[in-house]
Amino acid sequence: MEYQIEREEKEILGDFKPELIPDACGGGIDDYEEALHVLMKFVGSMSSALEQVSGRGANAIVYQAGKRMGHEAGKMVEKTDELEKAMQELSEILGVEFFFDMWKPTNQTEYTVEKGNETVVKLIFRDCVVRQTLRRTGLPQKGPLCYLLYGYTVGAVEEVMGIKGKLDIDHVGPNACLKTLTIKWGGK
Amino acid sequence: MVKIEIDEDACVGCGSCVDDCPNDVYEMDEEKNKTKVVKEDDCMACLSCHEICPAEAMEHKDIHVAKRLYIDRKVSGILKKII
Ligand code: SF4
Ligand code: SF4
Repeated sequence: MEYQIEREEKEILGDFKPELIPDACGGGIDDYEEALHVLMKFVGSMSSALEQVSGRGANAIVYQAGKRMGHEAGKMVEKTDELEKAMQELSEILGVEFFFDMWKPTNQTEYTVEKGNETVVKLIFRDCVVRQTLRRTGLPQKGPLCYLLYGYTVGAVEEVMGIKGKLDIDHVGPNACLKTLTIKWGGK
Repeated sequence: MVKIEIDEDACVGCGSCVDDCPNDVYEMDEEKNKTKVVKEDDCMACLSCHEICPAEAMEHKDIHVAKRLYIDRKVSGILKKII
């Protein structure tokens, strides 16, 4: 007798041709949720394994990977040397899953602080898929996966503004993370 | 605008929130041996203080609550039954 794996849900059968372009995703919300959980666990384990094998070097590797992605994404939007416009474009690149704002303490009048040929701005990341993933997998923040986002942000800003940038972590929390973006003018 | 409320009956005066807050939003009230909010406007709603407070003594109102995408509904369901 033919062996069959027992499953609760029914298998979906249909016809398929090579030229068929799907116009909607299959499955319901529970399927997406299940798939996301699996994916996030995979990504989380990959990040922690990378750290185990390469130590602190893992952050540098992932940062470069993120930066490359950021440069690619930045090519899709208009170039500007205005910081506010660049932040607007960055928010479009990062999308709703990385909802961020500029932030300043109350004793500071402007969002930006000029330091010689550098401009410094603090960014607060409120929604972040990376943070959610790390918490979902029980991993600490500031690890390689966070560096992927830092690289991505820096790469996108560098591409949009034609500058050299860096992003430092000020603070990570369960509901928001504060970062300092430093823009080096004429430093390309 | 963020509004922070401290449940003084719950606060055990450990000072963890004072040490942990990156923006010095809290200070210890030495007389009462309780925390007090001194720079509410500098709160960026990171909620690190919620995580560290052993007494769950604070509440932040009117903040951006980060979108939760990866709740394990099975685990949450079990927890709800227990808590
Ligand atoms: S939420 Fe963050 S910034 Fe606000 S009081 Fe708590 S630790 Fe400080
Ligand atoms: S961490 Fe909690 S218990 Fe400790 S001082 Fe702050 S509010 Fe009070």
